[in-house]
Amino acid sequence: MIDELGWVSGALALLSLLLVCTLAGRRVTLARAERRRLGAEERLRPLALALVDGGSVPLPPLTAHDSRALAVVLARYARQVNGAALAYIGDFFEGHGHVARELSRLEDRRAWRRASAAHALGGMASERAIPVLLKALADPDRDVAAAAARSLGRLRALEAVEPLVYALVDGRLPRAVSAQGLLSIGPEAVPRLRDLLAEAPAQVAAFAVDLIGLLGDATNAPELTVLLRDTSAEVRAHAARALGRLGAEEAADELRRALDDRIPFVRVNAAHALGAIGDVSAAPALARQARMDGFDPAEAAARALVRVSPQVLEAVAAEPGNWPHLDQAVDLARIQA
Amino acid sequence: MSVLEHALVVFSLISFGYFVLLNAVYLVFTGIAWRRVTYYRRARQFSGADEAFASPLTPPVSILLPAFNEEAGIVESVRSLLALRFPELEVIVINDGSTDGTLRRLADGFDLAPIRKATRTTLPTAPIRGSYASRKHRELWVIDKENGGKADALNAGVNAARYPYFCAVDADAILEPDALLHVAKPILDDPDVVVATGGIVRIANGCRIEHGQVVDVALPRSRLATLQVVEYLRAFLVGRMGWSRLGCLLIISGAFGVFQRSLVAVAGGYSTTTVGEDVELVVRLHRYLRERGEAYRIQFVPDPVAWTEVPEDLGSLARQRRRWQRGLAEALWRHKVVTLNPRYGVFGLFAVPSFFLIELVGPVIELIGYPSVIAGAALGYLSLTFLVAFSVVAILVGAVLSVAALALEEFNFRRYKRGREAARLVAMSLVENLGYRQLATLWRVLALVDVARRRGGWGEVRRRGLGYAPARGASRGR
Amino acid sequence: MTDNGQPLILIADDDPDILALVSFRLQKAGYEIVQARNGEEAVQAALERRPDLAILDVMMPRVDGYEATRRLRQHEETKRMPVILLTARVQEDDIARGFDAGADDYVKKPFSPQELGSRVQAVLGRR
Repeated sequence: MIDELGWVSGALALLSLLLVCTLAGRRVTLARAERRRLGAEERLRPLALALVDGGSVPLPPLTAHDSRALAVVLARYARQVNGAALAYIGDFFEGHGHVARELSRLEDRRAWRRASAAHALGGMASERAIPVLLKALADPDRDVAAAAARSLGRLRALEAVEPLVYALVDGRLPRAVSAQGLLSIGPEAVPRLRDLLAEAPAQVAAFAVDLIGLLGDATNAPELTVLLRDTSAEVRAHAARALGRLGAEEAADELRRALDDRIPFVRVNAAHALGAIGDVSAAPALARQARMDGFDPAEAAARALVRVSPQVLEAVAAEPGNWPHLDQAVDLARIQA
Repeated sequence: MSVLEHALVVFSLISFGYFVLLNAVYLVFTGIAWRRVTYYRRARQFSGADEAFASPLTPPVSILLPAFNEEAGIVESVRSLLALRFPELEVIVINDGSTDGTLRRLADGFDLAPIRKATRTTLPTAPIRGSYASRKHRELWVIDKENGGKADALNAGVNAARYPYFCAVDADAILEPDALLHVAKPILDDPDVVVATGGIVRIANGCRIEHGQVVDVALPRSRLATLQVVEYLRAFLVGRMGWSRLGCLLIISGAFGVFQRSLVAVAGGYSTTTVGEDVELVVRLHRYLRERGEAYRIQFVPDPVAWTEVPEDLGSLARQRRRWQRGLAEALWRHKVVTLNPRYGVFGLFAVPSFFLIELVGPVIELIGYPSVIAGAALGYLSLTFLVAFSVVAILVGAVLSVAALALEEFNFRRYKRGREAARLVAMSLVENLGYRQLATLWRVLALVDVARRRGGWGEVRRRGLGYAPARGASRGR
Repeated sequence: MTDNGQPLILIADDDPDILALVSFRLQKAGYEIVQARNGEEAVQAALERRPDLAILDVMMPRVDGYEATRRLRQHEETKRMPVILLTARVQEDDIARGFDAGADDYVKKPFSPQELGSRVQAVLGRR
């Protein structure tokens, strides 16, 4: 038994030593690599900036290490810029084979390599990556799919609109990623979102409505107003919120009606929207909701009332009775005017 | 053999058996943690924190900051909260009947004005004396109430919070600007499933703090505090990562956790009758959701960082550890019905019993083990060489585990950049097993004694306030 | 305005990449640049150097772009200085907040440095 323990001790001591050495060694190599990388970046930055700015810059011959460093810098810049600058970066990546390389890495067995490739393609402004990325949206690994979604958003790929909205519902992708992908695609996504309103299940439609509220404009108000009477509470609630975001004054009547909705969440959003629109005629209804309703709808109504009609707010708050939300709104308005 | 001999041998065997079991578990956890943290670090590159920050669909969060006699650091704390990178948040400071100048400091620092705040009355709390809003910061609220304890103050915050999620923060914790974004991420990804998340706490002693932010990470000068750094890395990084992966995260640090507001409210809020209200809440949430058969996840996020000050004197540290252990014991005892109960799935069948065994029973076994083994050797029932060999093995195993945890931190986060500090950490991890760990065990056993005798309370923890860090090079003289 | 008559532009962002990109473009277009890494530095630099225009990122630590704009509007020397806000977040509220704080224009990220350059030119040309 002692001998065994002796062996075990020896092995453990060795293991500890090994770990410590690896730690130390790794720290040194990492620090050195980092310094080297930063140095390369400093040197290459003028080149990168010139590339982004004007496109046709004669490239000096670069070592593999420098080439990688340059790609890293340009990929970072690609996430910040648009328009001509992004196109220049895209040309660089395409011309130097980076796009091709990442496309092939998307076939790699290891998930994190695929994810890294999907992520990188978003910064290369390459249209031919789109079909491949669309396939990657269905990757079994969540991070790969998320990276693909993000990149498709950056590339403003309209074909990704529908799968992304569905992804919002089925949770295959992190919600914020799908949402942001759609927002990156921008207003051009609206026609496809409108198509989803008619044919998709209620949950999907609700998200499509939300996004129209963020990407659309006044012309979308009529169809959203109709949805205020939809059978699904989710759709009604999101429609109300979207109308508020669009500032659709013509929806005021229907929104006022929605203040009487059965579902509290819908009433909250309706109040919020009326506040955003600034519909003065809604003041009495909002005042009533601020007094009578449950906590969240009353809170929303009181805040809306501040924006819609401070005079009505003051008048109603002064009436006899205990109206906590109105009192709060009045006090806040005075303090933070 | 006499009864004494029998007893000694039995105790010794139990100790050895427990030792093997415990370290096997820690080894498995270390393995799990390695995989998860590495994965997390890679995933961080494409984590899209910037997107969540920019996204209008990111749900807003209410930050709850209970404060009792925190005049030394309250303004700094609130400033660091207001500086958090997050699309929409509100900060609610709950002044829990402070007897010092906490409220006045807040009023001066943020230009407060009294308002009549509308709050829910779902959770019972001590009476509210008044509420304040800030003229300069629309997202800041202060609730002044009579003293009722931390849990009570948090409940007042839960009542007052406007948003669907809240983040409970300790008054002496400093959050990094992106901390909330990162710790809320699991919720942002899966709002329908993830109901609570917890972040990691790092030790601020020795770091330089400016404007409520940690600008320079350094090890504390105090040896005791440095030992705690090693311990925190092992307990937080390895331990919680492991538990979280198994779906059994039990401790969301009171210093830093995000919860779904309505869930906590309907589950009854924080308990005011226990000293470990954070543990108890999480256990209760697990139980509540499992009883209702709802799919859920409570997740630990390794990197979003909250910094906190740890005691540098033995007395305060002892009190803190005893309090923690009491809290854990009370929480597990209160919900003992879940133990080995298949109705509660992995949580009841595995997590709670494991915690019970490792965290509650374990220290007792350890404490009995030492004298038993020594006595056995002294009396000749155990070979001395065996004892020595085994002790060496024990110390080395402990050291390996600690170093592995350090390596984990080093490989993935590299917060401690100076080479000398890394070396010091390694040295300390060896020391940790020789004396510090045994002391901690003693405190934990004493805590169980406290529970048995029904002693309670928080005691006093001397606090210097975080806006003030010891000047570099100054001797601490401890 | 600098000593040699070139218009002086203040650019403030906590992201060094943005600082590099914008500075490069504007310097190429013939402007002089002064950089700041947060709102506080920005206001200080503005008061010291009196730039002809300021480009401020909204999300900066300590003092954000909105607050910086507000402060600039409070000082006599910088009250009329044109301010362009730069940000990733563009919601109705955010735009309104920007103009309420006193900004003159709003550029969304990701942005086109060339376009930003044109806008700067347009704004300065008007004066």
